[in-house]
Amino acid sequence: MNQDPTKRWVAVIGNPNAGKSTLFNALTGLRQRVGNYPGVTVEKRTGTAYTLHGEAIELIDLPGLYSLSPRSPDEKIAWQVLRGEAPSVPRPDAVLCVVDASNLERNLFLVTQVMELGLPVLVALNMVDMAEARGVRLRPEELSQKLGVPFIPTQAHRGKGLVELRAALGQSRTHPGPRQWTMPPPLAAAVGQIAAAWREWLPAEAHAEGKALELLAGSNSGPEGAKKLARAWRERFSKEAYDWSAAVIHARYEYVRNLLGEAGVMGNKRVASWTDWIDAAVLHPVAGWGVLAVMMLSLFVSIFSIASYPMDWIDAGFTWAGQSLETQMPAGVLRDLLVNGVLAGVGGVVIFLPQILILFFFLGILEDSGYLARAAFLLDRVMHRVGLSGKSFIPLLSSYACAIPGIMATRTVEDPKDRLTTILIAPLMSCSARIPVYTTLTAAAVPVALVPVWGKALGMLGLYALGTGSAFLLAWLFRKKMLGGGSPPLILELPPYRRPALRTVALRMWERAVIFLRRAGTVILALSILLWFLSSFPVRSDDSTETLAGSYAGQLGRWIEPIIRPLGFDWRIGIGLVASLAAREVFVSTMSIVYHVGGEQEGLVAAMQSATWPDGAMIYTPLTCLSLLVFYVYALQCLSTVAVAKRETGGWGWPAFMMLYMTGLAYGAAWLVQIVGRALGFS
Amino acid sequence: MDISSLNLTQVGPGTEVRVSRLECAPTTCQRLREMGFCENALVTKIRGGADLVCWVCGTRVALSARLAKQILVEHVDGRS
Repeated sequence: MNQDPTKRWVAVIGNPNAGKSTLFNALTGLRQRVGNYPGVTVEKRTGTAYTLHGEAIELIDLPGLYSLSPRSPDEKIAWQVLRGEAPSVPRPDAVLCVVDASNLERNLFLVTQVMELGLPVLVALNMVDMAEARGVRLRPEELSQKLGVPFIPTQAHRGKGLVELRAALGQSRTHPGPRQWTMPPPLAAAVGQIAAAWREWLPAEAHAEGKALELLAGSNSGPEGAKKLARAWRERFSKEAYDWSAAVIHARYEYVRNLLGEAGVMGNKRVASWTDWIDAAVLHPVAGWGVLAVMMLSLFVSIFSIASYPMDWIDAGFTWAGQSLETQMPAGVLRDLLVNGVLAGVGGVVIFLPQILILFFFLGILEDSGYLARAAFLLDRVMHRVGLSGKSFIPLLSSYACAIPGIMATRTVEDPKDRLTTILIAPLMSCSARIPVYTTLTAAAVPVALVPVWGKALGMLGLYALGTGSAFLLAWLFRKKMLGGGSPPLILELPPYRRPALRTVALRMWERAVIFLRRAGTVILALSILLWFLSSFPVRSDDSTETLAGSYAGQLGRWIEPIIRPLGFDWRIGIGLVASLAAREVFVSTMSIVYHVGGEQEGLVAAMQSATWPDGAMIYTPLTCLSLLVFYVYALQCLSTVAVAKRETGGWGWPAFMMLYMTGLAYGAAWLVQIVGRALGFS
Repeated sequence: MDISSLNLTQVGPGTEVRVSRLECAPTTCQRLREMGFCENALVTKIRGGADLVCWVCGTRVALSARLAKQILVEHVDGRS
């Protein structure tokens, strides 16, 4: 809860694509905290902003919304925050509405709802430059006067209007006046009666009408008398086939249109723009797919070509650290722990940070530019065939970075069955944690020098395609055959193309880097030390290979070897599989520890290529590497994903199902690769 | 063609129409209305096809064709 009762909390709310996050980032900079609301996976983003007088204000960035009718989980949490019912967040002292100045009609619809919450309201009239370029004549003073709340023109992406906004935040303590839109007669009678019952219970309630509308919509909080009346009116409206919620929407829009007319806000007619020109190609039934393929291929080529430079520097850094320790420290258990435990484990994972950051950079650019919504539109037809809508595409694409934000992004999917299906298949989209495994195994299977960059990118694309294709097949099975029911229709806003806000993208990359490095410094460090211990003790000889064979980890590996032998895996790979149950990338660090190669990737690949079975045959043949790659495409080796899926689905049943089906699929597919490969003459 | 039976899939790209009735599930209707597809609202169809794109309330909104079939419209000039 609020640690400092004197500190004011301001909720930031707005339509999707209104520039809310850009404005939030501009106001808070690096003073942000990202977490989850307890009990749900909706991301909670808070940050500290300062007024012109230096007063610190806590901003809460709420999910983008079109209305305050809570349907999807993110809308519900926004609703709870605004009512002061969300755990771990105090009720806001004011609301900052971010509106897209070029789309005032729909954005002000939400503002009229927010104004009925009984909180001071401040409106940031954002993207005024784009609105004026489209010929919209804005009149902030008139709008402030008519609506009774301050309107501050801003251009968040250019940092304009922030001084005025900070000044207004310092003063935003006045409550909006009474409702100005006109209720149609049947509804006015109902709301009047329910509001009167509410005032009998709480005479000081200034926004009893807003509460009455909430009760009519089915809210269960309020005095018993008012709830009873609301039920009676709902039944009456139902009998009379009177769609009261449609009447409210009509009345609000009518009010907003009149308001804009009276305030002299003109323009907003559609004019052909370069967005239309780009859309002609990007949404084309044939060319659109070509654009999507080029985008994806560029992403993977960048991951390999650009990332290789910083990866080499990190590799060199860890090699230097290992060599320094070996020359500076006397041989012994401590040196072994530092070089073969800590450096090998942490270095083996940290090296992949550049690739992960490039992935997040690309996703950020695609989202910020407006392309991601087009990709969802394009894929809607495919998604529809497997029973989902295009809206599931964005969570699935996010899962390429990490299944956790992917599963969190399913909050925008309104249909519960669609959402569950998306959660169940999200971990099949190859996440960034698989990149270390894919890169290492691909290098072990085929000599690096023989494969050009585009060849590696194509190979990687093939692994991603395998995961994605299987995800779609399973979505069809789960959604159409198991869960049943039709898929919801697509309704998706396509924002105009914009130059991505690099600051926003950079902040997201920074957040991910911190999360990744924290994980490397905690979970992976702890697992590396544990693995080093398990693979180094009991010491039975001076020879590291013999020690490993007799170690606790070696014993465990040998115990499971009969189970994984049909897949072409030996006991050392078995150690890797067990160790990476917690997190996939741990496989690489485990192999670095198992083969005693320090933190550098080249040494690990060389050690794997020279590893043999007792009869002298190579272990890491191309066939075994492919089998292992296929295993990692399908296996759910990530405890964090299981934990998030448990929280999201409200129990252990679905995560257990996810774990079982993915492990079964991984084992079956890897075994099939061995069978088919051997039948074709590979060994 | 009867005006009341004309739906959004049946008008050509570039045509401006007025929404006359929504015939979808209540929750979908509410979402459509909140996004600007209210009865009497002016909508311009930008692209046709299996899924289509419309201009409403100053934004482009993509709709699946089966949903667009449930949005009944009439020509702004009253012709059928």
